[in-house]
Amino acid sequence: MAVRITGLGIISAIGLTVAENLFSLENSRSGIAPVKYLDSKKDFLVGEVKRSNAELADHLGIKSLPISRTSLLGLAAAREAWGTNRHTKELRTGIISATSVGGMDTTEQFYEDYLDKNNPDYTVLKCHDSGNTTERIAAELGISGYINTLSTACSSGANAIMLGARLIEQGKLDRVLVGGTDALTNFTINGFRSLMIYDDQWCRPFDESRTGLNLGEGAAFLLLESDKSVRFSGNSTICCLSGWANAADAYHQTASSPEGTGATMAIQNAIEVSGLSALDISYVNAHGTGTKNNDLSESTAMINVFGDNIPDFSSTKPFTGHTLAAAGAIEAVFSVLAIQKGLIFPNLNYKTPIAETGLEPITELQKDQPVLAVLSNSFGFGGNNSSLVFSVYR
Amino acid sequence: MYINAASTISHQPTFQNAGFSKLIEPLDESAELISPNYKEYIDAGLLRRMSKILRMSVAAAKDCLKQAEIEQPGAIIVGTGLGCLQDTEKFLNTFLSVEGLLPPTSFIQSTHNTIAGQISLSIGNHGYNMTHTQNTLSFEHALIDTSLLLGEGKDNIITGAADEHIAFLDEAADQLNMHPKYDITSGASFFVLNKEKSERSIAALKDVKTVGLVQDIDAEIDTFLSDNFLNVSEVDLILYSDLSANGRVDSIAHKYFNEHYHIDSKMINYTKLSGLYPTNSAFAMHYAVDRIQQHPELKKVLILNGSNKINLGLTLIESLEA
Repeated sequence: MAVRITGLGIISAIGLTVAENLFSLENSRSGIAPVKYLDSKKDFLVGEVKRSNAELADHLGIKSLPISRTSLLGLAAAREAWGTNRHTKELRTGIISATSVGGMDTTEQFYEDYLDKNNPDYTVLKCHDSGNTTERIAAELGISGYINTLSTACSSGANAIMLGARLIEQGKLDRVLVGGTDALTNFTINGFRSLMIYDDQWCRPFDESRTGLNLGEGAAFLLLESDKSVRFSGNSTICCLSGWANAADAYHQTASSPEGTGATMAIQNAIEVSGLSALDISYVNAHGTGTKNNDLSESTAMINVFGDNIPDFSSTKPFTGHTLAAAGAIEAVFSVLAIQKGLIFPNLNYKTPIAETGLEPITELQKDQPVLAVLSNSFGFGGNNSSLVFSVYR
Repeated sequence: MYINAASTISHQPTFQNAGFSKLIEPLDESAELISPNYKEYIDAGLLRRMSKILRMSVAAAKDCLKQAEIEQPGAIIVGTGLGCLQDTEKFLNTFLSVEGLLPPTSFIQSTHNTIAGQISLSIGNHGYNMTHTQNTLSFEHALIDTSLLLGEGKDNIITGAADEHIAFLDEAADQLNMHPKYDITSGASFFVLNKEKSERSIAALKDVKTVGLVQDIDAEIDTFLSDNFLNVSEVDLILYSDLSANGRVDSIAHKYFNEHYHIDSKMINYTKLSGLYPTNSAFAMHYAVDRIQQHPELKKVLILNGSNKINLGLTLIESLEA
């Protein structure tokens, strides 16, 4: 049983709306640049949303401060996805978000003042907890009842989408806003630096010379509806979410197993849930962070599942950066756009295949493609692997 | 759903101590975390780097597996309100004060899903692995996810919740003029949940519900009871927590029962027993299960989680004979 997708919202380094993001994708316009909005000590390459907090708050009409950037980004995307839908007692509505930093963007500023004994503002700590960021979004949209937040690092967004689908499928909710949000923080930039996987140059997913990722920030939400819900809302179905799966690698706290164990299981199970076969997949939007480890592990998993028939694939992280908990959701929106518009997006900044696998991603935008089913991967720390399958609505 | 095992590490003597519900008293200020010998559960090399919340969770989860006599759970689901605070604090200090190469361990261990991740790593489990973080409702959400998985054909699921105290929390509470009535503490409670009843089962989890941004607490409790065909007079024990200024949940629980802490009382404020941490409703569930095991006449236990005034968690636990 597939779940209907009827709404999309996104804010990222390549655009403040779905339309802007699509335009950038179609025109190979990457959003990665030296850090500008975040108060950072060094000139890292990042995928920032091109708006300051003040500009975002103003645009969103936020009166109640303090508010974290994570909440602002999430609200922007959730509002776009919710659109003009109305609340009704007839439908059980929920929201599931995902975040890895929560309000850390404001907490880390507090902590710096705290360590310097420079009049730290303790009130911002109220924005810190991950659940709170989702509550802010729910409150602004008038949603009460099932409000939840997941946090599984880089697979979080995909997991939120999956949980929403399962709640609809088992009749617990009629419709649910699902997605993820993460703001850029010095905490995460320094974290990936400490792991020696932050690239000083523009990231090169699936390239032999790749040396790491560039972080990004953003948020995306999708509105999932059941058949009953669309009868009420009258919304047209953009496409379906037909497959999903989560599997643990159980290999290492941060590295993925070279055999791609967890990734292979996630991909295989998601395809199985969808009722499709591996051959039906038109395009894979890969996790493709640009780290030595992920791209090899993910390539191996794709070979395990698809054998000699690897579908067209690309990583869109050279456009947006790695947006952590938002990634699964941002890339879900890109996957839906691929189906809706018949496009396959390019893997920018690629030259040479990985020696061990020889796999080559798509490097130029493909138009007018029969994109019938898309696989989207999100593989995270702690060996948490998730895959989603989107397919045309018939 | 059926509960086949339960394990808690807390400031009370709960660990491997069936019947603890008969012994424990409300916590006093001096109560410290009661830790087991972690070396019995965790390899010394790993243990060295593990924060409090990680060692508590891995040990409690492993204890559960042992009780239920299963090697591989079908899934691992964790709820945590504030996550891995010790490591988060450590990494904040690290990157704000150290120049040059930073040690990565505390960053790696700061992410919320480290708890579920370390459990899967310690037993080599490849199943569904999830972390819910909706402050005081994190555990209830983990239970709802568990019920979905059981409906999808998975079984022997390890579900639990944990939160840890760090000194900074007391400082922050003080600075924010939040003077909680209870001490901020740490706790980890884990359970094994199954679809069908078996000779391993110790209690039944009948229903669990979360209401975020709750508008009418009375109505929600009434609906929950009627959905479960229950009249409040049929509830043998109410475990509740309420930190709201006007004691909404407190007053509702009081509407039916008079509260005074006594082993036979029908209404108990569980935060007095566990101390204050976001996911202490998991402690309440273990307490309920333990009471049911000790008192066969106890048939229905209702947990009202009003720790956060904007949220409400409702859980119904029943004895096997109910």
